[in-house]
Order: sequence, then C-alpha cells, then structure tokens
Amino acid sequence: MTEHPPRRVRVTADAPSDGSRSPSPSKAAATRGIALPGSRVDDADAVYARALRRSQLRLALGTVAGFVVVTAVLTLVIVLIPEIDQVIVAGLPLSWILHAFAFYPVIILFALLYARGAARNERAFRALDERG
Amino acid sequence: MNPVFDLVGVALVIIATLLIGVYGLRVSRTTGDFFVASRTVRPVWNASAISGEYLSAGTFLGLSGLVLLEGARGFWFPIGYAAGYLLVLVFVAAPLRRSGAYTIPDFIEARLESQRARRVTSLAVLVIGWLYIVPQLHGAGLTLTVVAGLPPWVGEVAIAVLVAGSVAAGGMRAITYVQAFQYWLKLLALLIPLVCIVFALTGGPHDIDPVAVFPVEAGPAGFGLYETVSLMLALLLGTMGLPHVLVRFYTSPTGVSARQTTVLVIVMVSAFYAVSSGMGLVSRMLAPDLADPAVADTAALVLPSRVFPGLFGELLTALVVSGAFAAFLATSAGLIVSLAGVVSQDVFSGSVRSFRISAVLCAAVPLAIALLTAPAGLGSSVGMVFVFAASMLSPVVLLGVWWAGLTARGAVAGIVTGGVACAVSLVVHAAVGGIGVAAPLLAQPAAWTIPLATAVSVGVSLLDTRGAPSRADRYLARLHTPERG
Repeated sequence: MTEHPPRRVRVTADAPSDGSRSPSPSKAAATRGIALPGSRVDDADAVYARALRRSQLRLALGTVAGFVVVTAVLTLVIVLIPEIDQVIVAGLPLSWILHAFAFYPVIILFALLYARGAARNERAFRALDERG
Repeated sequence: MNPVFDLVGVALVIIATLLIGVYGLRVSRTTGDFFVASRTVRPVWNASAISGEYLSAGTFLGLSGLVLLEGARGFWFPIGYAAGYLLVLVFVAAPLRRSGAYTIPDFIEARLESQRARRVTSLAVLVIGWLYIVPQLHGAGLTLTVVAGLPPWVGEVAIAVLVAGSVAAGGMRAITYVQAFQYWLKLLALLIPLVCIVFALTGGPHDIDPVAVFPVEAGPAGFGLYETVSLMLALLLGTMGLPHVLVRFYTSPTGVSARQTTVLVIVMVSAFYAVSSGMGLVSRMLAPDLADPAVADTAALVLPSRVFPGLFGELLTALVVSGAFAAFLATSAGLIVSLAGVVSQDVFSGSVRSFRISAVLCAAVPLAIALLTAPAGLGSSVGMVFVFAASMLSPVVLLGVWWAGLTARGAVAGIVTGGVACAVSLVVHAAVGGIGVAAPLLAQPAAWTIPLATAVSVGVSLLDTRGAPSRADRYLARLHTPERG
C-alpha cells in the first residue's frame, strides 16, 4: 500500500524517469493554445509566407537569369559567326531568319518553366500550411 | 488599291466593335463590371483580350516600317515586347491580382498607405497612357490617308470619338469581348496576306538578291551593344509599367489563373510578332522603295496590291486595313479604360457616371496632341513610351511587390527621378542630337534611368524617418500567398 505514492507525484511534476512521455507534450500544447490564442499560428503563417516569398523571388530571378543567358548566347551566335550570314534559306540569310523568329520559343519555354515552378512552390506552401 | 473596299472593311470592324460593345453593355450593370469586368473573365478570353489590347499600331504597321528602315534592329522591338510579358509573369502577375486593387495607383495607395504617392502615380499613369495613345491615333490618320486619300485628322478624330464612346457605354466588360475579337482579327489580317504573298513569291520566278536586300551592315551584327541592351531593358521592364497591362490582371479570378493567362498571352503575342516579323522581311524584298521615314509605316498596307494586282489584292488590302484599325481601336480602348478608371477615382467620386466623363476627357487630351504633332515613326514612338514606363512605374511596382521596406517618399522620389531623367535626356537628344560619347546615353536612356530611379527609391526609403507602413510585411504576405480553395 505504501510503495506507490512517489510515483503519483512524479507524473504531475513532469519527471519522466519511467519512460512514459506521451501525456506531457499534448498537455503542454493545449496549455499554450489557451494561454495565447492565435498568436502561435500567426507566427507560423508569417514564417511560411516569408519562405514562400523568398522561394518565389529566387525562382523569378533564376528564370530571368536563365532567359538573359540563353538570349545573350543566341544573339552572340547570330552576330559573331559570319558563316550564318552566308547560309541562304528560301532567299533569306539564316541570321535574319534566326533574329526574326528564334527568340519567341525561348521566351515561351521560360514562361512555362516558371509557371510550373511557381505552382510547385505554392503547393509546397499549402501542404505546410495545412499541416501547421 | 480600292478605297471603297478599305472603307467597307473599316466600317465592318467598327460595326462589329459596336455590336459586341452593345452586347457587353447588356451584361455590365455594376461599378465592378465597368472597372474590371467583375473578375469573371475566363483565361482564354482574357488572354485574347490582353493580347488584343497589347498589339498596337507600333507592331501592326510599325514593325514592317522599322525593318525596312533599320534592318534587323527592328526585330528587337517585338522580342522585347514579348519578353516584357515574361517579366510581368515572373514578378507581378499573380501578386498584383491578389492585391485586390483596380489600378496601379490603387495598388500603390494600399501598399504604401499614402494619398500623395497615389496622386503622383496617377499622374505618371496619365502621362504614359496619353503618350501611348498618340501613335495609335497617328496610325489611324496615316492609314486613311494612304488607302482613301483622306486628310490625317479624319482617322485621328474617328478613332478618338469611337473609343471614347464605346468605353463610356460599356466599360471593361464590353471591352474584354471587343478586344478578344480584335486579337484574332489582327492575327488573321496579317497572316492571310503574308501566306498569300509568300506563296506567290515561292511559286513565280523572282530576281531578289539576298545580299543586296539583306546587307550584313543592316543585319543582326550591324548595331551597337549599348543601344541594344538599353532598348531591351526599356522594353522588358516597360511592359509591367504600362497602365493597361496591369489593370488586366484584376479580371482573372485568382492569382493562379492570372499566371495561366499570362503564359497564354506570351504564346499569343509571340505568334502575332512572328507573323509581323515575316511581313517585315517580305517588305524588304518587295518594297525597298518605301524605305523612307515618311512612308515606311505604310509598307504592310501597300504590299498585297503590289503582289496581286486586281481584285484579290484589293480585298487583301482591305483585310490589312481592317486589322490595322482593330489595332488602333483595341490599344486606345484599353488605355482609355484604365486611364478613365484612374481619373474617375482620383478626381471624381468613382461612380459609373464619373467613369463615363473621364473616358471622354482621357480621349480628348491625346487627340489634341495628335492633331498638333506630326507622326514620327510608329515603332519608335511606342518604344519611347516603354522607356518612360520602365523608368517611372516599373521600379516602384517591382519594389512594392517584393520589398517590404519601400516607403511613400521613396516611391514618389523614384517616379519623379525616372520621369525627369527620361524627359531631359530625350529633349536634349531631340534638340542637339547628342553630344559626342553621350549621344547613345541620351538616345537610349533606359540603361541608366531605370537603375537611377530604383536606387533613388531604395535610398530615400532607407533614409525615410517615417519608415515603411507597419502592415507592409502582412500586405506582402497576402500578395504572395495562394488563395484558399
């Protein structure tokens, strides 16, 4: 009859020497929620939102950088390789044809890549948001 | 050329515009309908409308003229216009849709919580919009002069009256359907003649010497690095500063659909620019005698009847003329809708009645400017508008969407610096034609005015003792967070 009282005390005093921790975290979370309603959730939201903003900005800058590099290389190829001027396709020099038409597929490609990446970032954010 | 066919073509475009406008009027009832079509326009319709609005006289007629006059350098303009939408997509399309504002000044006011910043932005929007409408009116005057021998003021007045009337009557809802129709009309009005001409060229014998028609000095290798880079900067960044481009995102239901719409727009304008560039190449082969600044912009109008004398050529010309009118109408209508939205909310009460009065006012000013000035190359005039938009509004919009530290004083300082720097350099360039090494810096100022305006905005914001609005971080979070559902 007298060998159990110390064990009862240990449970309420949060000293997990017997290995059973499961009740204490859930109790702690509940207390926090009552003490500061909403604020914890808001903080998490702000952190997620800032992370999303940063990843979207990185994606945007990366897309523009990629586009500028590809455009610059294409331009240099057209401008600096004189042989392209000598090639005549359907009565037109190849350099003119490339300049008139070749840049649009590049623009469309980067637009599609960005749209996919941005949707992926938002999906990741939603997943985090729903979990938290 | 047969003026009767051409005028019938113009009349058909006008009648179709009015009919679709009247249909739109029946479904637009509220203030929301007037300003942003109640945000219920589907991506495909919305993308057609945005493209229809974006493709102006500057590329419909101006591109062939530029390629005739300046060779391959002209191709940079449409490439820059299309790539400008790539920057709109990656930096502002979805965030601005989520901002919940109707116009750029609305966005600036909500973001910076400042009436003064709003008023300065509205002024910048008005100046840019008016500068952009003037070449559209000039293009209309030029077209009617070429095809029917009418004095230039007839076309200018006709477009201004028609656009002010239909905008005042139907608002944005009507305009959306009108412009979606006009995109497809513009595309076909260049594509069909181009296909016919190319077919005729490959079929029959012709003695065109590629080396003489496409000389290396006028080719892609023949122009300066600084000027090209500066022009591209202006065109890339200028698009997001155009008043009628941003207002369009408010008609998408969500940020995600705003992004889908923008991707579609890039595909649609690219298709048009490829066709328009093809017309430029054909102009060099068939109409080298038009390579004179006064008549170069008429090349696309004149070509069909040169290749096909007789009835077929006349009908093709009438088609090109209708497409050109669709271009003048769509761009000026889109601009006047967004300008009238700004004026009616800043100067008047923001009601439907004040929107109508503002639409008339916003058409009258550029008409007066167009009547008092002579056209100076449609392609280059439109390019100059992009320099102003890129220097005045784009830095502030970009910073407003991505940097929580922007303050109202910083925004005002940036807009004023960008505008003054562009105006001074272009005026000095026009007056003295450039001074030694400074000539390219004055002719194409974007490469230094955009960084200058951005630096001033950031510097003044950092020094501003009042600091950024306390809710800036929360507002930014809203711009970049996807809608629920």
